[in-house]
Amino acid sequence: MNQALAVLSANDLCVGYGKKTVLENVRLEFVKGEFISLLGPNGAGKTTLLRTLSRHLAPLGGEVVLGGVELGKIVQQDLAKTMSVVLTEKVVPPLLRVFDFVAMGRYPHTGWRGRLTDKDNQVVMEALAMVQAGELVYRDLDTLSDGERQKVYVARALAQQPEIILLDEPTMHLDLKHRMELMSILRRLCRDKGICVVASLHDVEIAAKISDKVALVKGGEIRAFGPPEDVLLDDTVADLYDFRNARFSRVLGTIEMENRVDRGRVFVVGGMGSSSVLYRLLSKKGYGIVTGVLHRNDIDLHVARSLGAACLVQEHLDGISPENMENARSEMKNCDCVIDTGFELETINAGNLALLKEAVSMGKPVLSMRNGSGRELYTAGEYESIKFSTSESSLVEMVKCLSLPI
Amino acid sequence: MATTLVETATPVQYQEGMMKRQRTVFLVAGAVLLVFMAINVLVGSIDIGFKEIMDILITHDTASTKGFIVWKIRLPRAIAAALGGGCLSVAGLLLQVYFRNPIVGPFILGISSGATLMVSIVMLTSVTIGMTLVNPFMCTLAAFVGAYGTMLIVLLIANRVKNGVTLLIVGLMMGYLCHSVTSVLVAFAEKEKIKGFVLWQLGSFSGFKWSEIEILCIVGGLVLVLVYFLAKPLNAFLLGEDYAASMGVNIRLFRMLILVSACALAGMITSMAGPVAFVGLAVPHMVRLLFATSDNRVLIPGSVLVGAMVISLCDFIARMVFNPVELPISAITAFFGAPIVISLLLKRRTKI
Repeated sequence: MNQALAVLSANDLCVGYGKKTVLENVRLEFVKGEFISLLGPNGAGKTTLLRTLSRHLAPLGGEVVLGGVELGKIVQQDLAKTMSVVLTEKVVPPLLRVFDFVAMGRYPHTGWRGRLTDKDNQVVMEALAMVQAGELVYRDLDTLSDGERQKVYVARALAQQPEIILLDEPTMHLDLKHRMELMSILRRLCRDKGICVVASLHDVEIAAKISDKVALVKGGEIRAFGPPEDVLLDDTVADLYDFRNARFSRVLGTIEMENRVDRGRVFVVGGMGSSSVLYRLLSKKGYGIVTGVLHRNDIDLHVARSLGAACLVQEHLDGISPENMENARSEMKNCDCVIDTGFELETINAGNLALLKEAVSMGKPVLSMRNGSGRELYTAGEYESIKFSTSESSLVEMVKCLSLPI
Repeated sequence: MATTLVETATPVQYQEGMMKRQRTVFLVAGAVLLVFMAINVLVGSIDIGFKEIMDILITHDTASTKGFIVWKIRLPRAIAAALGGGCLSVAGLLLQVYFRNPIVGPFILGISSGATLMVSIVMLTSVTIGMTLVNPFMCTLAAFVGAYGTMLIVLLIANRVKNGVTLLIVGLMMGYLCHSVTSVLVAFAEKEKIKGFVLWQLGSFSGFKWSEIEILCIVGGLVLVLVYFLAKPLNAFLLGEDYAASMGVNIRLFRMLILVSACALAGMITSMAGPVAFVGLAVPHMVRLLFATSDNRVLIPGSVLVGAMVISLCDFIARMVFNPVELPISAITAFFGAPIVISLLLKRRTKI
């Protein structure tokens, strides 16, 4: 471990309340300018860990080291100049303007009366500008929306001019816009100001995209700590949250609800990104999905897999192999209907068109999203027996009307 | 907050604007206080002319009947009322900020109940056997012991509990505990004694001696100066103990200092004037709205001034409205204070 670089590190830390141990053997190291997310289910101990790192709780064992000094030995005032926090508590003192609230962050830097110097004023204004809340400066704190208030809380933490900021669930109660805005502000603090940001988050998708490192907290220990690209694998995320009907896709960086079949089986012939939206919709409505034949690098394949669909995969970037055609045929026989997503036709997926034509001759109900001149691929006879549709939702409505056996 | 500020105002302009307003309020409140105190000396059940009073004050005449009234009755009372109001208001402010709760007053930690308990023992039981009259000095002493005894117990507990809400409940429970013992004593007491006891419970600033005022000035003054030094950490406490700690406040130390100061102020006034209700709860609200801020560097001196002002007025009303019968001060403070606070809060929609 390189102690010189680390802003904050935990060595064999044991955290908890009184006699109750929450987490053991915590070994973490946070470096300047890094964004670190703590992930884990509710009650796993993220807040307890943060409170121990911020010295609100005494460690039950091991030590926390801040800037090379053991946390317990640092003078309170100096600690406040190095580390600041944003807590979950909604603090709205009355008759207090945003400026004065943020100026409270200057506490460790001012004299006994708390008089603000020109420099203090400047730091406060800069902190507000940094969180894009400059226009709120003279508003009353109790008139702010949740999103605005959260930004002001971050500005207060910034006004302490810390090297590290700890945030406990900063995006709680925020809408999508404010959530993304806040995360990009925090990201910028790391990159431009070199501040180390440690946040407990619930949103794995955002954490995966924004963090330099993530720590997975579960079962009384840190399950893993490292870059999200190494740590957030499909299985580890599912395990972290005990997913039963959802799964995480490392490639897509998203969580998909798993396909729960209670309606009927649908065979989707698609590819090249033409089917992703349809997969999700079918999955949501409870249809079993079989799809193919997809090439290995196809985005549709990743989406389908994360939904738990059965996929027929063509390994190499060439035409569809005879075995795959055979597998597709037998799968198709077990399905209640076949859907053509209107995929773009190339030589390497010509087999898929052949599959659709076979489905028509098999007597399966075939629905198609192909439009305009694309429909000319079918013969007049085939054209007659295919139901055409222009959007995913109307297509699924048509599938529903087929009244498939459950 | 009459002024609407544009975003382009610089922090210095903003701060100067606030200070200008606050300075004006300070001046007006100070002037009004002086007027009220003067009225309290000038007006009473016996008519003494303005010129006559000025003569008495200038010549330091304590020998004549009128001189005695001015020097031994009116003047000490006027000063005691002002000091009492100031101290109680600051005590209330301290506890409201510390507990982050608007309905907290100086007696929330059981100070008045402890004092009442001890006074009831003196006034209602036969502990005072052998004394034909209940000596006022005994009452003061008993209230002093009760108030500070309760304070010590609460502080010992405060050292052990982690959060404010628990402490608040402990204080309330202490109050109930003392009250229950007092009720038993009342049940067994003789009828004649009960009226005296009930009146004591409602507080009065009459009968203050100069020696008591000296103590009030010195001790009260020292505590108020200490409290002013607490203004900065007190501001940090507005955000709660967790945030305060993260900003560099030594929580254990300042929690103790805040509680000791509040209890010391409230205990001192209670032992001398009885548990004067309502002022400590209402005045901090009035001050916040008058000065349009939550900044305790302004609110602490503001509370001293406005508290003194309010009690001076209330004491005047208590003395004069059913002259020569004197009403208990708590009756006046609550009767006029409650509607004022309600209307102020409704108008401004403030919450602490």
